[in-house]
This record gives sequence, C-alpha cells and structure tokens, in this order.
Amino acid sequence: MKRLLAGALVGGGLLAVQPAMAEDITLEFVVWNYSLSTIQDNIRMFEEQSPGIKVNLTDYAWPDYQDSMVLRFRGNTRTDVIYGGQDWLPAWASAGWLAPLDDIAPPDTLETLKSEMAGFALSDVTYDGEVYGLPYYADTISFIYNQAILDEHDIEVPGTWDEVMQAAEKLKEAGMDRPIVYEYNQELPNFFDAFVAQVYGRGGDLFNEELNAVFDDPDNAAFQHLQWLREAFEKELVQPENHESNIITTMNTGQHAFTVVYNYVLAAMNNAGEQPLAGQFALAPMPGEEGATLGFAKFYAVTADAAADPERAEAAWKFIEFMAGQPYTVAKRWAVEDGLGFAQLPLLEDQDVVDAWGTWTDMQTHAAQVESARAGTWTEWTAVWTAYFRPLLASAMVGEITVEDAMTQGAERWNMLQEQFANR
Amino acid sequence: MASGTHAFDDFPARPLGRRYGLGSKHMWTRNRFPFLWLMPVLLPVLLFIGVPVAHAFWTSLHQVMLLFPGEPFVGLDNYARVLDTNYFRTAMWNSVWFMVLAAPLVVAIGTAIAHFLQSRFAGSTIIRSVVLLPWVLPGAISAVLWIWVFHPSFGIINGLLKQIGAIDASIQWLNSPDLAFYCVLIAHVWTQIPFAVILVMAALAAINGETIEAATIDCRSGWRRFRYIVFPEIKAMIVVLVVYNALVAFTTYDLVYAMTGGGPGTATTLLAFQIWRESFAMYDFGAGAALAFIMVVVAAALIVAITRALPSDLFGERPS
Repeated sequence: MKRLLAGALVGGGLLAVQPAMAEDITLEFVVWNYSLSTIQDNIRMFEEQSPGIKVNLTDYAWPDYQDSMVLRFRGNTRTDVIYGGQDWLPAWASAGWLAPLDDIAPPDTLETLKSEMAGFALSDVTYDGEVYGLPYYADTISFIYNQAILDEHDIEVPGTWDEVMQAAEKLKEAGMDRPIVYEYNQELPNFFDAFVAQVYGRGGDLFNEELNAVFDDPDNAAFQHLQWLREAFEKELVQPENHESNIITTMNTGQHAFTVVYNYVLAAMNNAGEQPLAGQFALAPMPGEEGATLGFAKFYAVTADAAADPERAEAAWKFIEFMAGQPYTVAKRWAVEDGLGFAQLPLLEDQDVVDAWGTWTDMQTHAAQVESARAGTWTEWTAVWTAYFRPLLASAMVGEITVEDAMTQGAERWNMLQEQFANR
Repeated sequence: MASGTHAFDDFPARPLGRRYGLGSKHMWTRNRFPFLWLMPVLLPVLLFIGVPVAHAFWTSLHQVMLLFPGEPFVGLDNYARVLDTNYFRTAMWNSVWFMVLAAPLVVAIGTAIAHFLQSRFAGSTIIRSVVLLPWVLPGAISAVLWIWVFHPSFGIINGLLKQIGAIDASIQWLNSPDLAFYCVLIAHVWTQIPFAVILVMAALAAINGETIEAATIDCRSGWRRFRYIVFPEIKAMIVVLVVYNALVAFTTYDLVYAMTGGGPGTATTLLAFQIWRESFAMYDFGAGAALAFIMVVVAAALIVAITRALPSDLFGERPS
C-alpha cells in the first residue's frame, strides 16, 4: 500500500512537472506580408522538424513595415526574428535592436554560409564588420524591355541612357503614348533604390569613399541621371506607376516598352498563366557605360532581446538556419515558386532553379548582372536621409523644383545628418 | 421657475451642517462632492487624453530621435527647426488651402443633396442608402478606389474623356503637381459628404411642415424659398458642419498617405502627413510632436476666426 502510494505520488509529481519540461519556446517572427501562405507553410515545415519550438507570425504591409518595427523595438514588444533590410541595418544595429549572428551561430557554419553568399548580399547583411542576417532573398534592380515592341519597330536593345531616350522618342513618334514605365512612389524605399541602380549603370555613385555626398556636383552621374529623368518626364515619355504590381499590368497592355524594377517583377510579367503578353519581356544590363546595377539583400535577423536569452537565441538560430541555411531549401523554394532572387550562389547551378528561371529570364544575362551588381551605401542615417531625399527626387523629376535644388538640398541634409550622427 | 436648474439648487437656507450632515439624506448629493461624482468620467479623459497630450508636449521640448541614445531637453529648438523648413511652409500652405476649399464644398454639396433627398420620388430610399456608402468605407479603401478612378491607363475618367474625344493622351492626374492636389481634394470631399447629408437632412426634418407649406404658397421660386425660409432654419447646423469639416480637412491624413504619399514632391503634403513623415520616416519624434502642437494652435486659431466671421445671431436663444 505504501509502495502504491509512493508510486502514485511520484507519478503525480512527474505529471505535474511534465508540462513545464515540455513547454515550447515560441518565437515571435515579424515579416512584411509578401506571400504569407508560403511563409506559413515554411514555418509549418520548420515546426515539424523542430519539436519544442513554435513560431508565431506577425505581418505588416510593406509601406508600414519600417515604422511598425521601430515602434515594436521602442515599445519593447517581444520580437525574436525579423525580416531586415539592407538600408535599415546600420540604424537598427547601432541602436542595439539587432544582434550579430556571430554571437549565436556556430562559427564554422556561419563561415561556410558567408563563403557561399553573393558579395553585395554579404555586404548588405554586414554592419561594423559583423554579420547580422542570412538572406531571405537577394535581388537586383533590372532594366526590362518588351522584345516584341522593339522588334516591331526595329530598335536595338539600348545600351546607354541616351539610347533609351532615342528609342522612347522613336516609339512615341510611332504612336506609343509613354514608352517608359517608372515606379514613382516617393514613400517607398524602392524609389531611391531604382535611382541608385540607374546611377550605378552610368558607372557613378552618390558618395565618395569617405561617405561624403558628391551628387550635387553637376558632373556627377547621379546629377546627370536626374537631369535625364526630368527630361524624359518633360517629353512625356514616362508613365509613372505607384507600385510594382501596377507595373506588371501596365507593361502587359503592350503600350510601353521599358521599365526599371526589381528583377522578380520580370517573373510576374512573364507569368503565362496570368499575363497576356507573357514571354515578351526580357532582361538587359542596366544602361550606361558600366552596366552595373544595385544588388540588395533582405534577410532574417535576430533581435538583441532574443539573443540575450540563451534558449530563445538557440531556437532563433535554428529557425533562420532552416529558412536561409544549407541545403537552401527555403531560398530555393522562393526562387522556383516566386522568382525571388537569391544570395546563395550554389543555387545558380541548381537544375530546378535553372529550369524554373529559364521560363521567364535568360540565366546568363542574370548571372552576369548578379556578378556586376554593387551594394548600396548604407549608413546609420541612410534610412532617415532617404525619407527626406525621395520627395526631392520626385519633385525634380516632375519639374516642381530644379535638379540643382534637389541635389543641393539633399547633399546639405546628408552632411547635417552625418555630423549629427557622429556627435550623438 | 428658472429653466435648467436642478431641484437640489432650491434648498431653503439652512445651516450647512444640517443640510449635509452624515445622517442627512443629502449627504451624497452632487453638490456635496462634485469632483468625486465626475471622477469616473474625468479619469479616463485624463488618462487617455491628458497624459498623451502632456507626453507629446514633453517630447516636443526634447530631442527624441529614435536612433539616438539620450533624450536631452532642447527647449524650443524643435519648433524653430520645423518652422524653418521648406516642407513646413509648403505643408502649411497646402493644408490651409485644402481646408478653405474642402469645407465649403462638402457643406454646399451635402446641403444640396440633403435638400434633394428630402423630396419623395421612386427609388428615393435606395438613393439615400447609396449616398451614405462613402461614409462606411475606410479611408484607405476610398483611396485605392480613387487611385483607380484617376489611373492614367485604366482609370474611368481618362477612359470617358478619350471616348468622347476630349483628350488624345492620358492625363496624369495623380502624377502631376498641378492636378494631384485637386484629385485628393475631390476624394476627400467625396468621403465627407455623407455625414453632411445626414446632419442637414436631420435639420431639414425639424422644420415645421406648415412653414414650408406656407412658403410654397407664397413663393414660387425654389431658390428664394431656400434662401429666406429654409436656410435660416438650418443655419446653425451649417455652421457646425463648416467648422467640423474645416477641422477634418485641416487634419486629414489617410487619403494623402494612400493616394499620393504627399507627392508628387510636396504637391499634396499636408501638415498631418508631414507630422507622420517627421516622426516615422525620419525617426524624429521631437520634431513631429512640435509640428503637431503648431498644427493644434493653427487649427484653434482658424476655428476661432471662422466662428467670429459668422453672423452673431446664429446660436442666439429662441424667443420664448
């Protein structure tokens, strides 16, 4: 009887303890709302192979993402793993909101992942010499044209911005209202990124090696390109669109020949199941003397708050390793199913990726573009500055202010912020 | 008996101790502990309005850059800084101009529609419901709807204009600095009209039927009947609507954010949008809070100016 009682007590005690032992770690994962069903399915797969770890997903719309994240950080809302962006990383890392992966990842694994990452992407996930993220996707900004329209009007694929202007004018004379579609939304980071990509195409940069603003010099490529854009707007060659999703539809009307947009948009334009002119659109090197473009990486990052708790840190690392680490299953899935670019270079040789991408782009041109892509100049104040500079760019394009005013005011603001952040 | 006084005010003069003693039945009257009785209402007001406003004022006097470690006191620097920017001057001008155009337009169109809907005709009930539709749509949805209305390639306005041969090439409604402002204005007026219609219809319904009947017999001109009989009866409501719509127009944000992002350039940047941009896009909550307080002061001054400019007899007591 005593044994039975003792057994019951021990058993009861174990049962009482059991829930605590088996308590799951729940990671708070925050994303912008691109293809949520795929994200949820990836989480489901991770949870299946990682007993004891649950992932709670929160999403925000892309235009609201930055504000929402800043408020989460400032409000100490529990956040463990996030989507990060190259333009926000220096600010968020220097504010102490994100943790370097060196603190939580096995060094060998991290080194291997770094060695297989495209150069511009590695630059984008690195701040102050430390890696803060693994790429969710990495892409380039691309110059896209409608091959059928160019063939019909006997126009060569333009290699410089002057040639783009000449081609657009020729098309306009032939009856095309506005041959160039341009993503014109001054509140989106894309608006600035696309401008930088075009400047890189010309072989220029907005800043020198000392991080001084040089774009207010009339001889600078950025200055010249803004003048080019203003001229194109003045000649009514440009059809502005406020979002990339509208560009897909607009280009598929067959009334426009050129656009500059994130590369994955080409996949959507050439989607035979949804678009009437699928197959007509092709990728060309960014016009300009150098033909380079902007490459960028969006990435999974771990918050400093999560990194400070060993259990959560371990779970967070497992999660982002699943999402972005070898064998790159999730990155490959994004590439194959959605046409998202990738920073994991071995995927360039992956037959499934090559086959899938071959249906909507020329892989050789793409590989060459990735190779020549340059990372942007991202400092602690870049995100703040671009919020100020984008409306200036937009104003100058449509003739509300002069190019000189836009560039001068932009440079002054850059210098002021640079000084302000140096003395903070 | 004087109107509007409570029975408790009519106590005969008695010693205070006897009137409000512990055993007195008047111990818990509202005259005894007025603040205590008001507490359940005042506390939430203090908590949800007073505290945030006080915190915002504190923020406006400090350097609250989200990316900076400290929050030092900077006095009126934030105010001086935002007042000195081109963005502020443009936003202020845009906001005032937006308010000057939007408020009268909403009230005039709302009054006209309400007057029209007062009459009974086939389908009037359905039309009354349809008129209210813009009111139930969230601002962001209305913005998306109007973006498509004004879209250069697929928008209905360009489509119609092309069909009737008025234009050959699409008009860039939302991408032209000269037109974008008025496009946002149209969208804003559209969203605000239903509320004006409801209030004016309520005011019209309160007019004595016999007065209208007599006016119909005496005066054949519909406009003169409205001008001299109907309008004086609904004048107070019109004033309330003008003031309300002036405030709404001056502080509008959601349509601008979703339709144009304040652009092109600064063409549609209004003060409320600039507050958002300073605070959330530039992480400078100190400047954003300073701008918000400037906006409150300007709005208050404008409302006082509007009400002073109106006839003094508007809210006068009715003759008994």
